[in-house]
Parts: sequence; structure tokens; C-alpha cells
Amino acid sequence: MKNIYHLVVKDIIRFLNDKPAVLLTFIVPMLLITIFGNVFGGKGGGPRSKTNIILVNKSNSVVADLIESKLDTSKSLRMIKKYLPENAKDSIFFDEETAKEFVRTGKIMAAIVMPQDFFLDTSSALRFKFYYDPKNEIESAIVQGAMQQTIMTQIPKVMPIIMKRKAINYIGNDSTARFYRDMSRTVTKYFGVNSDSFMQDLTRVDSSSLFSSSTDTSAEANFMGNIIQFENEQLVGVEIANPGVTRSVGGWAIMFLLFSITGAATSLFEEKQEGTLKRLLCMTVSRADILWSKYIYSTMLGVIQLLVLFVFSWAFFDIDIFSNFFNLMIIVIVSAMAAVSFAMLITSTTKTANQANGVSMLLILVMSALGGSWFPIQFMPEWMQTGAKATMTYWSVEAFLSVLWRNGPLSSVYTNIVVLLVFTVLLNTYSLVRFRNGRVF
Amino acid sequence: MLKIKNITKSFGTITALDNISLNIEKGEFFGLLGPNGAGKTTLINTIIGYLEPELGEVSIDGEVITVENTQLRKKIGYVPQDISLYLELSAYQNLKIFGSIFNLSGNELETKITEVMELVQLSDRKKDKVKDFSGGMKRRINLAVSLLHDPKIILCDEPTVGVDPQSRNAIFEMLHNLNKTGKTILYTTHYMEEAERLCSRLAIIDNGKIIAQGTLVDLINMLEQKETIKIQKTAFTQDHIKLINDMGIISEHDFYYELIVNDKYKQHSKTFIRLEEEGINNEFVQVSRATLEDVFLNLTGRSLRD
Ligand SMILES: Nc1ncnc2c1ncn2[C@@H]1O[C@H](COP(=O)(O)OP(=O)(O)O)[C@@H](O)[C@H]1O
Ligand SMILES: [Mg+2]
Repeated sequence: MKNIYHLVVKDIIRFLNDKPAVLLTFIVPMLLITIFGNVFGGKGGGPRSKTNIILVNKSNSVVADLIESKLDTSKSLRMIKKYLPENAKDSIFFDEETAKEFVRTGKIMAAIVMPQDFFLDTSSALRFKFYYDPKNEIESAIVQGAMQQTIMTQIPKVMPIIMKRKAINYIGNDSTARFYRDMSRTVTKYFGVNSDSFMQDLTRVDSSSLFSSSTDTSAEANFMGNIIQFENEQLVGVEIANPGVTRSVGGWAIMFLLFSITGAATSLFEEKQEGTLKRLLCMTVSRADILWSKYIYSTMLGVIQLLVLFVFSWAFFDIDIFSNFFNLMIIVIVSAMAAVSFAMLITSTTKTANQANGVSMLLILVMSALGGSWFPIQFMPEWMQTGAKATMTYWSVEAFLSVLWRNGPLSSVYTNIVVLLVFTVLLNTYSLVRFRNGRVF
Repeated sequence: MLKIKNITKSFGTITALDNISLNIEKGEFFGLLGPNGAGKTTLINTIIGYLEPELGEVSIDGEVITVENTQLRKKIGYVPQDISLYLELSAYQNLKIFGSIFNLSGNELETKITEVMELVQLSDRKKDKVKDFSGGMKRRINLAVSLLHDPKIILCDEPTVGVDPQSRNAIFEMLHNLNKTGKTILYTTHYMEEAERLCSRLAIIDNGKIIAQGTLVDLINMLEQKETIKIQKTAFTQDHIKLINDMGIISEHDFYYELIVNDKYKQHSKTFIRLEEEGINNEFVQVSRATLEDVFLNLTGRSLRD
């Protein structure tokens, strides 16, 4: 026992004297968590940058103005409306052709055009034009998503007008008026809205009043708000301060856990090379002592590394690690144990440090890509999502998401824990057999 | 105190140790001389219990050493042939780690570290990383580590390979002093000068077999001729060497001829007179005592160096 303790202390001293290892274990993952956390939406490290897109509003419609004003306040998009032509002193508004030209030449990623017939008094649909460079398809999708989100929030205001127009088109003015009168009585009765003002709003066929009657207290807003509730609220991760970082911290932590632990375990090769392993074995140390000390040291390093990374993301990104800390700890420990068994498998099946590094690098990268360390596996085709389940990375990352993102109870990650423990037992058994046959030392 | 009995150890088809038996008494400075690949390291590995022999056994004070019986190794200070240190750590950190394995701690360990660092004359370099040391300094730390736990027996496996003369002398002096304080030392080397200078008794090993053992005098006495005559090789002597063919057997070396004279020239005076007559001046001739090199040559027909 004493030997094992001294050997663990030895490994810790060696680790602390190995600056690249310390860097790779703690600093590099912190950097990556920060970078990727910000890419996928976060607030750490300064305000998020907005994506510039051109907005051309040719429509006279109030609805267009409404949407424009809403887009102006978007958190993710910045609307560019004017440009400075060559040899000109003052910048002028974009027209559709110039906007297209800007996109075509790559000066800007995308342009939204609301044409003159964007929302004619007689029409019942909104007409947008969206120009983008297919080379930026992913970004365009993000921009379109952001746009849709902005526009959707305005739907409750535009909806009654569209509905009314449809009604007039289909059943004629008189019937529509009758319908609304009946309707208003019913609505007044059940939803407690002032019947007169409601009627006034409902029967307005033009849309000019959208701004004049204050939208929030107006009857139709109440009405629509009472009937159709657009829950723009996130249903999962409700109180998450930093969804992007919360997502990425688990993934990157697991990937670097695998790297650092494999490094810790394969230091056996280095010690063999240095002769220090033999020297220890020529002292009072047994081979079992060496193996135990490597297991214990690697697991400890893994747990400490994960904890440091989580505390880092708590300190700098407000990730809430403490309200579900017990469950988080359980997953941290189980993940570290699984990673150690992976590292021992590598150590017991390779012959030199170079071999071990090559094989582990390849396997860790594949497991990380497939298992969801880099991006949510929902982005991947179905067959890959199935393949992900063969990696221990997947089970760890999902477990971290469960406890951090969904704030889930321990029962929500039972499966993950069991799968990780099965990995651990299987791999350890196999490598112990290899070690016993004396292939490594 | 150290008994090696009928040890045989092979690697595949190579028999590295072939029925080796040695007895090393308490307080001896015992040398194991043999060329590269003779089996010296394998023997040391078996003594320390790192390797399990196929046949035979090693015992210390009557207790048999096995791979499992790790506690017995506390009596042994093992100095590996290769530098076996944590190169990225300081000398002090190395000593501390290895000392802790021998259950030394606290003040006792600090005192021991100071003591051995003084012994190897590196006290002022305690905090420096081992990788920044010269070959000789690494060797001295390599040795210091083995002395921390005050072992009764020190096994030194070629501790002077790749060492500058200054460090080499420091090591010799150190081992000599340790031996005087009562430590038993087993010293392997392929330098016959080292064996002659240090060891009170020695064994010559070749191809896994002990081919001779005894004191230096015993071994030299095995030779018919206790002295050799060397003639320095010059442009001048090269021309005249043919003329003394009848004096005995002449062998040619890089820088000299060695002459083993026949009975007629047993007396040195006769040899010198004859050589003078043939035009080989006395200043080119040297009579020297036979060495272990000669013993080895005599026993194997090969030189120690190749
Ligand atoms: N681990 C090993 N595997 C195979 N052969 C070995 C091993 N160790 C030593 N040998 C062989 O055993 C013989 C003796 O080696 P060694 O004891 O190292 O010689 P020395 O130390 O006298 O130079 C050599 O022929 C060497 O090649
Ligand atoms: Mg050797």
C-alpha cells in the first residue's frame, strides 16, 4: 500500500514538472471551451458579434416597417441598409440589384428584400426575397433561422389582418361582418375584452392601425395572445445562463480527459525507456504496485481535470454546476474510470510510446467526433448517431448534458452510468490479462 | 554472504548464463570481468530478483531471492548499467522519490540525501534537472540513489561507461571508501584496468560461463609467462622484427609487437642483448607484468575488447 502511495506521489511530481502535459490537461481545453462556447452562443469573453446582412425595404406596408423595426433590434443580425457608392460623398440606400451584387461578390453573406408587393392590401401572404451565397450555406441557414424567429414573433400582430382578408375573400363582406359581430360577443363574454374596441379593430381592413393603436393593449393582441400562445421560450435548459458553453464544456472535457489519461497511462513506456521502471522493480516495488498506482493516479488526474474544467466554466461562464453537483460528481468519476480503462487498453496492446500515441490519437479523435464532443450528434445522419453509441464519449457527453442542461435527476443517467461501467469492466479485464501475460513490463 | 548457485538463464536460443556459481564474502570487493554480451547484466538482474533463472538460486545470508520476495532487496543497492533516473526532475527530486520507496521520509530522508550528495560530490547541483548533467554527473547520481537506504551489498553494473576521467576517479574513490566501511561490492566491468585496480577478488565471465576466478595474483599465476615483452612499433623496428623470429612467438598489435620468448631467452639480460645485436634499441623495448588482458587472451584466444 505504501509503495502505491509513493508511486502515485511520484506520478504527480512528474506531471507537475511536465509543462506540456499540464497545458494540454488544463489550459488547452479551457481555451477550446471558451472558443466553441462562444461560437454556439454564449456571453463569456465580451458581447457576441452580430452577422451583417443587407435589408432592402421597398414596401410601403406597415407590416414591412414592423418587421424591419423588429429586425433592427435582433440580437444576432445587424441590418445594413445603406452603402457608400464609388466617388460619392454620402451613402445611399441599397436597391435590390446592388444588394444582389454585394452578395454575389462576397462582400456580405446575405440580403433580405421586402419588395413593393411585400404585403399588398389585397394579399394575404408576406413576400420576402432572400439572397445568399450557397458557399455560406450553413451561415445562411443560421441567418434564415434568426429571421424566421424575428418574424414569427410579429405574427400575432399580423395574423388577424391576414385572417380577416382571407375571410372577406371567401365569404364576402356581409357575412364577414356578421361573423365578427357574433364572434366579438362570444369573445367579450369569455375573454373579457371590451366589445366595441375589439369590433373596431377586427373590422379594420387596412393595416395602418397596427402602430397607431398600441399593439400590446389593443384588442386583437389580447385576443390573439389569449388564443394563440407563441411560446418562444426554450423548453429545455430554461435557466441556462450560457447554453453554448454548457453544451461544449462536457464534450471538450471528455476529449481532453481521454488525452490526458492516455498520456498518464502510457508514461509507463517512458519510464520503461528511462530505466526508472526497472529500477523501481529492482527495489521493493512489485508489478502489481506499478499497475495499481497507474490506475489510481490516472483516475485522480481525470477527476481533477474534469472538476477544474467545470469550475472554470462556472467561474467564467456562469454554468450552474452546483445545483446538481452530486450527480455531476458521479458522472465525473464514472467517466474518469472509463477513460482510464481505455488508456490501459492502449497501454497493454501497444509496445512503444510512439505506437501508443498514434493509436490513441486516432481513436480519441474518432470517438470525439462521433460521440458528440465537437458538435451535437443531432447534426449527424442517423447511422452515425447509431455509431455514436459505441463510443464511451457519447455516454459521458449525454450524461453531462442531462445533469447540466436538463438538470436531470440521477435516474435520468442510470443507463449512461451502467454503460460506462460496462465499458470499464470489459476493457480493464482485457488489459489485465494482457499485462499478466507480461507484454508490457 | 551472497551465494550464487548453478544459475542458468536463457533468452530463446541464447544461453546468457550457463551454470554459474559464485560465492561472495562479506566485505569483499568482487569484480566480474567480461566482454560485452558475456552475461554480466543478466547475472546482476538475476541476483536482484528482476529476472527469474531457469535453474539455480541466489541467496543472501541464507535467504533465497525470488521475483516475489521484494523485501529482501532492501539489503541490496543496485546501480543499473544504464542511467535510470527521472531526467525531467532534479537530482533532489529523484533521490526523494526513490528514497520514499525504501520507506525513508522526513528528516531521515533529508539527512540521507545530504549525505549521499556529499559522497558523490554534487551537493551544489542538488536542484538542477538531471537531464542538464554531464554523463559523469548522471552516473554519480545513478550511484547515489542506490546508497540512500544504506544497503549491505552494492551491485554496480559497469558504473563508469561513458564517464570522463575525473568522474571515473571520483566513483573509484567513493566505492573504495564504501568498501572500507564494510560494504560488500560486486562490480562488473569490461575494463581490465578497473578490475585490477579495485577488486580484491574477481571472476572472468565469457559467453555466460565463469572461466576463471580468484585474486589477481591467482589469475596471473595461471599464466606460464608472468611478464610480457613489448616492442614499440616504429618505421625502424618494423624492418628489424623479422630478424628475431627465432626468439619465440611474435604477435602484432596496433602500436607494438608482443614477444613471448622461448626457454633460451628466459633471462631478460639475454633478451636485451640479442635485441640490441639485431639493431632494436632498448628504448623501444618494455617489459611488463602480465595483465588480466593476457589472462583473458590465454583462456579464450580473444582480446577482451572485441
Ligand atoms: N532481454 C533479453 N532478450 C534477449 N536476449 C538478451 C536479453 N538480455 C540479454 N540478452 C542476451 O544475453 C546475452 C548477455 O547479455 P548481457 O547480460 O546484457 O551482457 P553484458 O552485460 O555482459 O554485456 C547477450 O547475448 C544478450 O544479447
Ligand atoms: Mg551489461
